Amino acid sequence: MRRSLRLAAILAVFAPAVQAEEFTWAVNTDPQTMDPHAVNSAPVLGFLNNVYEGLVRRGKDMTVEPALATAWEPIGNGEGWRFTLRQGVTFHDGAEFTAQDVLFSYQRASNEVSDTRSWFAPVSDVVVVDDYTVDFMTSAPNPIFPGSIANWMIMDSGWAEANNAALPDKENGNYATLNTNGTGAFRVTAREPGLRTVLEPFEGWWGETEHNITRAELTPIQNPATALAALLSGDVDFINPVPIQDVARLKENPDVDVIQGIEARVIMLGFPHEAETLKFSAETTDANPFADVRVRQAVAHAINVPAILQTIMRGNAEEVSQLVSEAMQGYVPELAERPAYDPDRARALLAEAGYPDGFSFGFKCTNDRYLNDESVCQAITGMMAQVGLKATLDAMPVQNYWPELRADNYDMFLLGWSPGTFDAEHPIRFLAATPNEEKRVGSWNFGGYSNARVDELLPMIQSEIDPVARQAMIDETTKILQDEMAYLPMYVQPLVWGIRSNIEVTQRPDDFFILRWVTVN
Amino acid sequence: MSDVPIPVKPKSRLRIALDSDLYYTFRRSPVAMVSAAVVLLLVLSAVFAPLIAPTNPFNPASLNLMNGFTAPMTPNAFTGETFLLGTDDQGRDVFSTILYGMRISLFVGVAAVFFAMVLGITLGLISGYVGGWTGTIIMRTADVQLTFPSILVAMLIFGIAKGVTPVEYRDQMAIWVLILAIGLSDWVQFARVVRGATLVEKNKEYVQAARLIGRTPGAIMLRHILPNVLSPVLVIATISLALAIIAEATLSFLGVGAPPTQPSLGTLIRIGQGFLFSGEWWILLFPAVTLLALALSVNLLGDWLRDALNPRLR
Repeated sequence: MRRSLRLAAILAVFAPAVQAEEFTWAVNTDPQTMDPHAVNSAPVLGFLNNVYEGLVRRGKDMTVEPALATAWEPIGNGEGWRFTLRQGVTFHDGAEFTAQDVLFSYQRASNEVSDTRSWFAPVSDVVVVDDYTVDFMTSAPNPIFPGSIANWMIMDSGWAEANNAALPDKENGNYATLNTNGTGAFRVTAREPGLRTVLEPFEGWWGETEHNITRAELTPIQNPATALAALLSGDVDFINPVPIQDVARLKENPDVDVIQGIEARVIMLGFPHEAETLKFSAETTDANPFADVRVRQAVAHAINVPAILQTIMRGNAEEVSQLVSEAMQGYVPELAERPAYDPDRARALLAEAGYPDGFSFGFKCTNDRYLNDESVCQAITGMMAQVGLKATLDAMPVQNYWPELRADNYDMFLLGWSPGTFDAEHPIRFLAATPNEEKRVGSWNFGGYSNARVDELLPMIQSEIDPVARQAMIDETTKILQDEMAYLPMYVQPLVWGIRSNIEVTQRPDDFFILRWVTVN
Repeated sequence: MSDVPIPVKPKSRLRIALDSDLYYTFRRSPVAMVSAAVVLLLVLSAVFAPLIAPTNPFNPASLNLMNGFTAPMTPNAFTGETFLLGTDDQGRDVFSTILYGMRISLFVGVAAVFFAMVLGITLGLISGYVGGWTGTIIMRTADVQLTFPSILVAMLIFGIAKGVTPVEYRDQMAIWVLILAIGLSDWVQFARVVRGATLVEKNKEYVQAARLIGRTPGAIMLRHILPNVLSPVLVIATISLALAIIAEATLSFLGVGAPPTQPSLGTLIRIGQGFLFSGEWWILLFPAVTLLALALSVNLLGDWLRDALNPRLR
């Protein structure tokens, strides 16, 4: 009797699951952590956008829209921004959302152990006015501040403190690495790193539900061919990315759809500006040839980007000459021209710099992060070899890659950068400004590129309200970065999603997959 | 004059070989002849790859990316060049890459088996002849290693070796590390067979005689016992060769073996596997067929050798 009762109870629980709209999706990189302040990378932030929320968020067309704040306005003459918070919002564990959580999340996310601290470089102070009003004081007028914190997610202060997770721990992890407690439309019900992460809709969400998912599961599948096979067989409903070589074939298949767009991510090469010597050279062990701008220009002229796009990218990507793509704010159309493919010129530049026979060095590259990254790096290695730049390619998974770069274990590296704010200021702040812990800038400037004028221009760009004057400053910075070949931007990575044809999704150029917009038909 | 006996010409080595039982059974076995021919063809084309191959795929400076993804025997849309077996994503000629890749596969296979053989024979001889604690420790180590799949052992050794090698030498070292990894995962079979045979041989009269006249244990093992335990070792070596080639391909397929700039057959298959759905079948098919032909014919040859050397089966 007891047994049959229990059976009935189980059946009752599972009964609605029959009509459940389950959704399974596969990505190539598992989110490294569930902590929204520990790692500033697209796989982490993109996934957690479904679980946590910020004061503001970006809509389907990337416009900034209210989320946990209902309104915001500048204070006085640009001394800061006042945010009015949404009332009646609860976290997944039932705790109420108040201004204290905003203050706590600010302190947590801007702490020196947080990867997101540079977002708060312009902030001088955060003042809780009342339970539902918070002032962000900035050291200079900052017109783009609300949009720049769209990925800053609010965590419950009581929950974090009770679980000893008041600060993120990137290296060792803590409670917040595996568990979540956000205000978002979905809550994480199971987390097995590298295997699967299960999400269920949060009943108490404040917003209006657009999706019809009852359960969603994220599975990381590293091998693109395996992911594609899973999509074709219907094991998963969505994959990101679709291997670029399979796009044409996939479009002919009636069971699946391909959604293509231009991503905001610029793929570029980075150089060791600061290094005294090369790390991985057989013969050039007492100098750093890349410190000479002519050598960096030689690299630029040696690489045939159109050929890479034509073959490896199958015509699905676009060339780019600056750290942001054409679709971003602050792009400089006058500086759209890339250094032409010209091996003779590259050889001449190398000879001028004192390396007529070239030199050997180590080239680091990811093999699971960007579309066809290893193939592209191999092709670059071959093209450079033709002018005497003998690179030893070392391609590795992304989880080993960032620590290698942080430890300066490279002579040249591949980097993809997607500006979280959709503005040209973003890469300048992260990649071009001289690394400075105190000012919280240059945190991804691995090579230690440093230019006094760029450092001077960055705060001016950040605080300039007049769009024309601001653009002039961005123009000047872009020109400096191009002339000095601080980085070598190559192409804008295409965004290719594959879905089963009974699924409707919305693709955003930042490659974030937003579950709220998924419909299963 | 006529009764002067004609001196009997001593039989030449070739004659001895052609008159032997082994050659007789070989001529009687079509399978053995075909597989020997295939192995010979593949080995020769690998050895003479620099003379046969139209391009040198290991020289990155010689590649033209615009040749990428050319179908077999079809002119490339941009460069107009034609390739016998097509090209891969980097514009490498698949035919040349297979020839050069096979060199790596064969070299790694042969060297790994040789390494495993030397190690296994030495440890097997010592364990069988000396016995006692030494023998027990060696054989228990072997038993423990047998409980792990050999590919797992190879991956473990490869991982450790890669960790301790400086990055700038990693590519050059990769091949040697592969040999070490596969060799170390493979010595157990040799040791077990040699030990068993040694245990039988060491009590025979000729060994006791050698001991009586005061030969050292090392000399007895090497000069007296070893030649008498070699024939089963030869059979194992042949079959191990096929397994070692497959092991190398597996490791490279998993991305932990030969570097992509110096692809072995396994690396080529890994690269080609990414283009299966997109219709560039030739990048996968030709290296895979070559690997199959190589491993299968070596294996068949090993099978035949085992039967031929076993007097009970004749």
